[in-house]
Amino acid sequence: MTNLVRLISWNYFRKHAVRTTLTAGGIALGVAVFLGMHVANDTVLAAFAQTVDRIAGKTELQITAGEAGFGEDVLERVQSASTVRVAVPIIEAVADPHIRSEGKLLVLAVDMTGDQSLRDYDFDNSGGSVIDDPLIFLAQPDSLILSKEFANRNGIATGSALRLDTAEGEKTFKVRGLVKSTGLMTAFGGNLAVMDIYAAQKMFGRGRTFDRVEVARKPGVSLAQCRAELERLLGPAFTIQPPSSRTQQFETMLAGYSLIVDVSSAFALFVGLFIIYNSFAIAVTQRRYEIAMLRALGATRRQVRLLFLTESAILGAIGSACGVVLGLLAADAIAGTIASMLGDIYGIAQRAEGSLLSSGLVIASFGVGVGASILAALIPARQADSVDPIIALQKGKHQAFSTRENHVRVTIAACVAAVLLAGRVFARVSVAPVLGLVLTVVAALLLGPLLARGSARLIRPLLKRLRPVEGALAADSLAQSPRRTSATVAALMLSLALVVTFSGIAQATYDSLATWMNTTLNPDLFVMPSPTLDVQSTRFPAQMGPEIAAIPGVKRIQLLRSTRVNFRGSTVMAVAIEMTSVAETDLRQPVQGQRDSMYRVAAAGDGLFVSENLARLQHLAVGDTLELAAPYGTIRLPIVAVVLDYSDQQGAIFLDRQQYIKYWHDDSVNVFRVYARDGANVPDVRQAIIERYAGVRQVFVLTNGEVKSYVVGVLGQWFNLTTVQVILGVVVAILGILNTMTVSIADRRREFGILRAVGGFRGQVRRTVWLEAVSISAIATVLGCVLGGLALYYALHVVRENAGMVLEYHFPFAVALGLTPLILASGFVAAIWPAEAGVRGSVVEALEYE
Amino acid sequence: MNSVSRCLTGMVTIGAAVWVCSGPAIGAADNPREIIAEAQRRSASMSERYEGILESFDGTDKSSEKRWTMERLGSYGQSKSVIRFTSPAEVKGVALLVVNHPDRASDQWMWTPAIERDRRIAMQDRSTRFFGTDFSFEDLEERDVDQYDYESLAQESVSGVMCWKIKSTPREKKSSQYTSSIVWIRQDNYATLRIDSYIKEQAVRRLNYSDLKNIQGIWTAREMTMSDLRRYTRTRLRLDKIEYNAPLDDSRFTLQALRTP
Repeated sequence: MTNLVRLISWNYFRKHAVRTTLTAGGIALGVAVFLGMHVANDTVLAAFAQTVDRIAGKTELQITAGEAGFGEDVLERVQSASTVRVAVPIIEAVADPHIRSEGKLLVLAVDMTGDQSLRDYDFDNSGGSVIDDPLIFLAQPDSLILSKEFANRNGIATGSALRLDTAEGEKTFKVRGLVKSTGLMTAFGGNLAVMDIYAAQKMFGRGRTFDRVEVARKPGVSLAQCRAELERLLGPAFTIQPPSSRTQQFETMLAGYSLIVDVSSAFALFVGLFIIYNSFAIAVTQRRYEIAMLRALGATRRQVRLLFLTESAILGAIGSACGVVLGLLAADAIAGTIASMLGDIYGIAQRAEGSLLSSGLVIASFGVGVGASILAALIPARQADSVDPIIALQKGKHQAFSTRENHVRVTIAACVAAVLLAGRVFARVSVAPVLGLVLTVVAALLLGPLLARGSARLIRPLLKRLRPVEGALAADSLAQSPRRTSATVAALMLSLALVVTFSGIAQATYDSLATWMNTTLNPDLFVMPSPTLDVQSTRFPAQMGPEIAAIPGVKRIQLLRSTRVNFRGSTVMAVAIEMTSVAETDLRQPVQGQRDSMYRVAAAGDGLFVSENLARLQHLAVGDTLELAAPYGTIRLPIVAVVLDYSDQQGAIFLDRQQYIKYWHDDSVNVFRVYARDGANVPDVRQAIIERYAGVRQVFVLTNGEVKSYVVGVLGQWFNLTTVQVILGVVVAILGILNTMTVSIADRRREFGILRAVGGFRGQVRRTVWLEAVSISAIATVLGCVLGGLALYYALHVVRENAGMVLEYHFPFAVALGLTPLILASGFVAAIWPAEAGVRGSVVEALEYE
Repeated sequence: MNSVSRCLTGMVTIGAAVWVCSGPAIGAADNPREIIAEAQRRSASMSERYEGILESFDGTDKSSEKRWTMERLGSYGQSKSVIRFTSPAEVKGVALLVVNHPDRASDQWMWTPAIERDRRIAMQDRSTRFFGTDFSFEDLEERDVDQYDYESLAQESVSGVMCWKIKSTPREKKSSQYTSSIVWIRQDNYATLRIDSYIKEQAVRRLNYSDLKNIQGIWTAREMTMSDLRRYTRTRLRLDKIEYNAPLDDSRFTLQALRTP
C-alpha cells in the first residue's frame, strides 16, 4: 500500500495541487472551527471556574438567594449555626478602572475583620508605608487593595489613586495595600480589587444587603451536617452549595450558547466532509482509467478501496494538522469575544486570558478531522472498487447512477418524507423537531443527485434559448454527470440552507423582539446606573423616585427592579414592577389571561404574570399556583397572565413591587422608566435629570431608541458568531464550484477539442463552462432556499421546545434575494480560471486526451 | 495576655493577672491557680478610663501609630467598654463597643463615621490579628481561671524582681489557638511582668509589661509590648491619664451612643 500511495497517490496530489489544497483546506477549516470554538468555550468556562475557585479560598459552602442577595440579618443567622466555624459576607461588583487595555476590574467586597480566616491575603509590605492596616482599611470607604501585578502593570503604588465607576458617580479610591499576585489575587486574570463590604454597599447602591455568605465548618462536622443545619435555619429560598457548583450554574446558563457552539462546529465539519466527498467523488471519476489499469494489473477491489481511503486519511491528517494550528491561533480571539459577550449578556464576572489547551481536545479534533475525511471518502472509495475495467473505458457511463441506486434513494427519501408528513398531520408539529430537521436534511441529500439532474434538464430549454450551443452543452454536461454535479450542488445547497435557516431564526427573533419592545419598552427615557442594561451590581435607592418625578417635564415614572432568582432549579428573572402604573402604559396583549383584570389582581398582590417562554419551559398556565421561595418567605400566588417577554432566556416572573419588597426586603431600583409630559422636549428632560444628579450619583439616561438599539445589539452578538461561520461555509462551498469546474474541464478536454476542431470558438468553450458553473449555482440556490425554508420550520420548533420562545415563521426573502446574485456571481468567478484552462493548449493535444 | 484585654478593651487594671476567678482569692503562694486568682482580685475596679497610644513596629521601624480614648464600665464577665480612635486622621472617629458576657464570647460593634455605618464584628476566628496589630482577638478576651490547668514551673528573677513562673494549659473543652502559656507574676505585688504563648513547642507571642505604677491602689503597667515571634513585628501600647472607678453612665455604652462622638 505504501508503494501504491507513493507511486500513484503522490503523483495525483502533485498534479492536482490546487484541488488537493482545497480538499485539505476544507477539512482544515472544519477542524479549526471545531477546535477553536471548543477551546474558546473551555477557556471561558475554565476562567470562570478559576475565578470562583481562587476567590473561594477555604470556603466550603456558599449561601446565595439568587442575584438579589439578602439582608444582613441572614449573616447573623448563619453565624449562629452550631456547625459553622466562620461565615463571612461577600459582595461582587464589576467596575471600570478607566485604564486603557485593562478592561473591567472585579471588585470583591469583604469584611476584613473575619475574611482572612477564609482567604489568604499575601500582603506585600516591602513599601513600608501604611499597609496591612485593617483599621484604616475599614475606616476609609475609599480603601482598595490591588494585586501587585496589576499595580505594577499600571504604575500604581500604595497610596496611589484609582478612579472607579460607582453608584455615586466616578469615585477616586486610594490603594491602601498591594497583595502578591498569588492565589486569590490571580482571580479574574489578576484584575481584582478588594474593598470593605460596608463601603461597597454604599458605593454600589446595595442598601444593607450581601450577595452571598461564605462558610467554613467547624472541625469534626461533615459538610452534609453543616449544610443540613443551614438549610433548616434559612429555608428553601437559599441555595447552599460548595463554590464549585457556581461553575455548574454558569454552564447551565450557557446551555443555549453551548448549543450554538456545537451546531456551528458540526456545520463546519459537515462542510469539510462534503468537500472531501466532492473531491474524492470527482477523483474517482477522473481516475477511472488508472483504477481500471490497476485492476487489470492484478490489484484487488480491496486494495483499490484502501488506496482511496488511505489518500483521504492522509489528506485528512494534513488538513487536521493545519486545522489544529489554525484553531489554536483563533481560539484566543474567539475566547475574548465570547467572554465579552457573556459579560454583556449575563453580567458574569470572568476573564479569559490565554487559551486552555487540552491535549485531549487536540487529539479529539485531529481524530474527528481524519475520521470525517475517511467517512466522506467511504462512498467514493466503494465506487472506485466497483469500477469495471471494461466499462471504465466508455467515457461518461460511469457517471450516471444506476436505476437501482436511484430507486433506493427515492424510496428512502419517500419514507423520510412520509415520516415527516405523518408527524406534521398527526402530531400537528412533528415527530420531534430535531429529528424532523435531521430527516429533512437527509431527504434533501438523498434526493440531491436526482434533483440536480432534474433541475439541469428543466433549465436546458432556458440555457439553450440563451446560448443555443453553449447552453445545450452546459445543461447536458450537468445532467450526464450527476455525481460530479450533485456533490457540489449538495455542499452549496446545505450552506445556503443554513444561511436561510439562521437568517430566518434571526429575523423571527428580531421581529418578535421588535413587537415586544414596541409594546413594552415605551417610556421616553430610562434612568440607569450603568450604560448597559445587564449590569446588576449597581442599583439606585428608591428615594430617587420622587426626586425624578419632581423634575420639570416628567409626567410619570415607574420603578423597576429585576433580578435573577432560582425557580424549580432554573435561574429565571424576577421583575418587580408597579402594576397599577404599568397597566396604563403597557400596550401588549397577554398570550393568556384577561388584560382588563390582570394588572388589578397583580397590583393587589393576588396574582402574578409569567413570560411565555417560562410558561412553556415549566409547563405553566393561567390559573396555576406559582411557588417561589424568597429570602423572607415563599410566594404562593396564582398566575393571572402569560405575557410575551424576552427579558431572560430562561423566562421571567412579573410581580408587583410591593410584593418584591415584602419578600426580599429590598427596595432598590435597577431602572427608572420615565414618561415625559405631552409637549415636553424629551432631550430637555433628559438633560434635566443628568444635571439633577451631576456630581452626586452616577446616572445614565438613555432614550427609548438607545435602549432598543442596545437590546438589538446584544441579540446581534448571539448571531454574529454564527454568521461568521456561515459565511465561511458559503465560501468553502463556492470553492467547491471551482473544484468541480476544474475537474469538469479536465474531463471534457477532448469534448472541447472536438468542439474547437469543428469550428467552435474559444469564446464558446468559455461560455459553456461559465454557464455550467452559473447553472450549478442557480440550482443550488433554489434547492438551498427550499431546504432552508423547510429547515427553518423545524428549527423554529426546536427553539420553541428548548427555549420556550414562540417565533413566527417568516421566510427570509430579503436574504435569499440578496444571496442569489452573490452566489451566481461567485459561481461565475469560480469558473473563470477553469474556463481559461479549458481553452488553453492545442486542439491536437485535446483530441489525443484519454 | 489577659492584661492586654483590659488595656485594649478596658476590662481591668493593667499590670496584674486578670483571670476570671470563680472561687475566692487566697494568698496561697504555692498554689499557681490561687496566685492567678489573687492577681486578678488585686486589679479589679468598677470602671476605668485612659488615653492610649498604640505603635506598631515592623522590625525596628515604626510603621504606624494610633491614639484612642477608652472607657470601661463593669466588672469581669459583665463589663462594657468603648474605644474611640482620635488619630491618625484616617481612623479618627472610629469607635468600638465591646459587651462582655460571662457565658459566651463578647459582642463587638464598630462605628465607621466615613460611611456612617455600624457593623457587628463577629468573633469567629479568634486567632485573627486585632486590626493589624500583633495582638489576636483571643489575646483580648477575658479568661475564666477555671478553664485552664496550672503548673508552677519555678521562681525566677525578671529585671531584678522575683516572680512566680506559671504554665497555664487550656482544658480540652476550651478552644484556643495556643497550646500553652507561661506567665511571670511578681511576688511583691502580684503584677504580671511577662507572658509567653506557645503553639506546640514554639513560642509565638511574647508580651512584656513595663513602667509599672500604683494608680489608685492598683499596680498598673503603663507600657506593654506584644512581639510576634514568627513575623518579627511588635506592637507597643502606652497608657496615659489612667483613672479607675470614675462615675460612668451606662447609656454611654450602647450602640446608639457609639454613633454619637
